[in-house]
Amino acid sequence: MDLTIVPLQPLERAQINVLRVRGGLTAALVLAAAITAEIVAAEHLPVHGAIAALTLLAGIWLAWVSPPRRWRHWGYAFTGSELHVAHGWWTQVHTIVPVLRVQHIDVSQGPLERSFGVARLVLHTAGSDDTIVTLPGISRATAEEIRDTIRVRIGSAA
Amino acid sequence: MSEEAPRRVHPATMLIGVLRSGPSTLLAIPALYAAGTKLGLLTSAALILAGLAALALTKAVDWWILTYRLTGDAFVIESGVLHRSRREIPLERVQDVSFEQKPIARLLGLALVKIETGGGGEDEAVLDSVTLAEAHRLRLALRRLRTVASETDEPEAGRTVFAMSPGRVLLQGLFGFSLVWIAGFFAALQTLDQAIELDWRDLIGVARSEVVSHLTITAGLTVLGLALALGVIAGVTRTFLRDYGFRLDERGGRFRRVRGLLTRSEVVIVKDRVQLALVHRAPVRGRLGWQSLEMQTLGGSDDVGGRQAMAPFARAEEAGLVIDAAGLPGFEADALTAVARGHILRCVLRHGVPVFALVAVAGILVPPLWFGLALVPVPVGAALLQRRYHRYGLRGTSVQVTRGVLSQRDWIVPYRSVQTVSVRRTWLQRQLGLATVIVDTAGAGGWHRPEIADVAAPIAAELASALASRA
Repeated sequence: MDLTIVPLQPLERAQINVLRVRGGLTAALVLAAAITAEIVAAEHLPVHGAIAALTLLAGIWLAWVSPPRRWRHWGYAFTGSELHVAHGWWTQVHTIVPVLRVQHIDVSQGPLERSFGVARLVLHTAGSDDTIVTLPGISRATAEEIRDTIRVRIGSAA
Repeated sequence: MSEEAPRRVHPATMLIGVLRSGPSTLLAIPALYAAGTKLGLLTSAALILAGLAALALTKAVDWWILTYRLTGDAFVIESGVLHRSRREIPLERVQDVSFEQKPIARLLGLALVKIETGGGGEDEAVLDSVTLAEAHRLRLALRRLRTVASETDEPEAGRTVFAMSPGRVLLQGLFGFSLVWIAGFFAALQTLDQAIELDWRDLIGVARSEVVSHLTITAGLTVLGLALALGVIAGVTRTFLRDYGFRLDERGGRFRRVRGLLTRSEVVIVKDRVQLALVHRAPVRGRLGWQSLEMQTLGGSDDVGGRQAMAPFARAEEAGLVIDAAGLPGFEADALTAVARGHILRCVLRHGVPVFALVAVAGILVPPLWFGLALVPVPVGAALLQRRYHRYGLRGTSVQVTRGVLSQRDWIVPYRSVQTVSVRRTWLQRQLGLATVIVDTAGAGGWHRPEIADVAAPIAAELASALASRA
């Protein structure tokens, strides 16, 4: 059974590539470590290449298989008075940030995100556990549009 | 008010500082003893004096370089020898001034002054310590500069909303009996024994034969009774030290709380900064009609649990008066709805399975422990009752939640303090069609958040939307 508070939009498809590159980098690092271990401890290992092979499988999962799955579990909606962000696979979390509770907003873009043309919207509230709510993988234009709308709303409330 | 000359804290703080580093100086005694045998008495006495002089000198320098003053629109503290620091607190940001008097400071008529700002925690200013008269002068001056219009009456005048007599504190202490302290006591004994090098093995040998020869039910009961008595004494002592003379006054937009036997503290709680009220009924005292009231404030609190203790041991009506004085709505227990039936199953699984698994593993290793399975019905039984005691409701101006079978908690969260709302669903919850609604508030610390666990998913969606739109 699915939970619908508001209809959610998916993230930009380009975000999958961001996740893939990130996963790929992690996988490459771990794989390098595994290969080094294989070479250094070659004579102590009963089966040669087992560690590297397992790491390679994990790396393929991390870099190729899991990004689209993770991407699919993200969703967002901006209603004008609230921002909804949903994510999570095993534990699914849907967070609602009332616009009037936003303390300040950042739109940020790392080098990787810039090259794939996506941005992240970061909302800061006065809360304790969810004090920072991040929405990654939306287009820069959308992020700026939401930011400007929220800024006007906060301005008019103050 | 015009600019005033820089002032220093009271000179006696140097003495207090030296005394306070006393305990850590004791650690140097073995070294000194060793030195004494090698260097002779005179040299080591000179060394001790030199050490004390150095300590006194650093305290004197500390005292000399810290200055404070009130300027036209700010409170300024300057300190540091090489790295000079200057902290300027704009007066409009000063929320209030709290005092704390530790035993020695009390004897000398001094008080530690905390200047509380909106940010809480880190950016407060602390003056350790000034005379009580100076503390009052500062408070008056800071407040007069901040709000010229509203508060011109005496700072100490106010309406007492809650106070505890020594008898009440004693009763609270009896319930607050704690075995942790006994453990601490024995741990301390152990270390002392090591220090004076008692031969434990010999003692244990003697003790064992003694114990075996005298092992009777009476002896066992006596030991148990002694342990309980110690626990009670520990609880009463701790409670008296902390809550003796507890008084909560209300005036205008703030509460002033005074408490403590040896260390007197005076804390200010600004009503506008109160985020939520939490009433707790502990297993035994709760059944006898006693509860504690805490309030969560912006910027948190130094109290245990991260919330301000507003009434540590009160009747429901008394706690209700404090809640009312804080401008929060009353708790409407009868108007609340129970969570979904699936909550029972989830509680049984969450509390029963770990106990079962633990017993099973233990039983495989040590077969007699299979009898531990008799324990499994306890968490399961408690879980069966969970749903009856977990209720929630969106009331006029607040969301209210109650939870807990033995240890019960009631939350009153005004809609204005709701920062974000989340709906969380684990895999199991999705299979059961349930969801948990989480309300995030400002200044939360420690445990116990106002969660509404396990309502039917469509209701959770409705609740979340309603909460977000009222926030």
